Amino acid sequence: MFPIANSVRAEREARGMTQSELGAAIGLTRQTVAAIEQRHYSPSLEAAFRIARLFGKGVDELFQWEE
Amino acid sequence: MSFRYKSALLSLVSMAAIYAWYFIFLLIHFRTGHPFNPVSHLIFTILLLAFVQIVGHLIIAGTSSDKYAAPDERERAFDRRATMVGYYVLIVGALVAIATLHIGFDGPKIGDAVLFAIVLAECTRQAVFLIAHHKAA
Repeated sequence: MFPIANSVRAEREARGMTQSELGAAIGLTRQTVAAIEQRHYSPSLEAAFRIARLFGKGVDELFQWEE
Repeated sequence: MSFRYKSALLSLVSMAAIYAWYFIFLLIHFRTGHPFNPVSHLIFTILLLAFVQIVGHLIIAGTSSDKYAAPDERERAFDRRATMVGYYVLIVGALVAIATLHIGFDGPKIGDAVLFAIVLAECTRQAVFLIAHHKAA
């Protein structure tokens, strides 16, 4: 598990989006979105900004470093 | 399972199985000394692999909704890692193939050793790609 926690799943579900829809909107596959949500993969800075921008949030609101 | 995962699995299994058959056949020939045509054996192996790959990819493309999706950053990272490991296997394999010259291998046998190194490197590349997928699933 990667040390970067995130609230991508909660934000996605709050908007009624599927993992495929989110992936298509930001140029990632459904599997990658699932891996990010389960903390099995840390997205690149570019992908993190794309997700945050889509949800209208700051990157630091969406992603948090957890020791 | 994504299209690229299925594709890598198909490539790994088909290459391993078909070239295992090729090299076992070759080994039996060297041991027993039965006459056979190595060129036609190699051509048949290549054509068989091409046929299995083409038909197999047509089948998995028909069952995958993401067949036209471009690889994203995660899959490109898996690919880079797999290519890096495969490259080292290829370099070591090539050096070993060259070294066979010093234990009396002739031209065709050295060629087979190089072919074995290429097959091993490609199988390693596909296997590392699949393992990376599993670990990060």
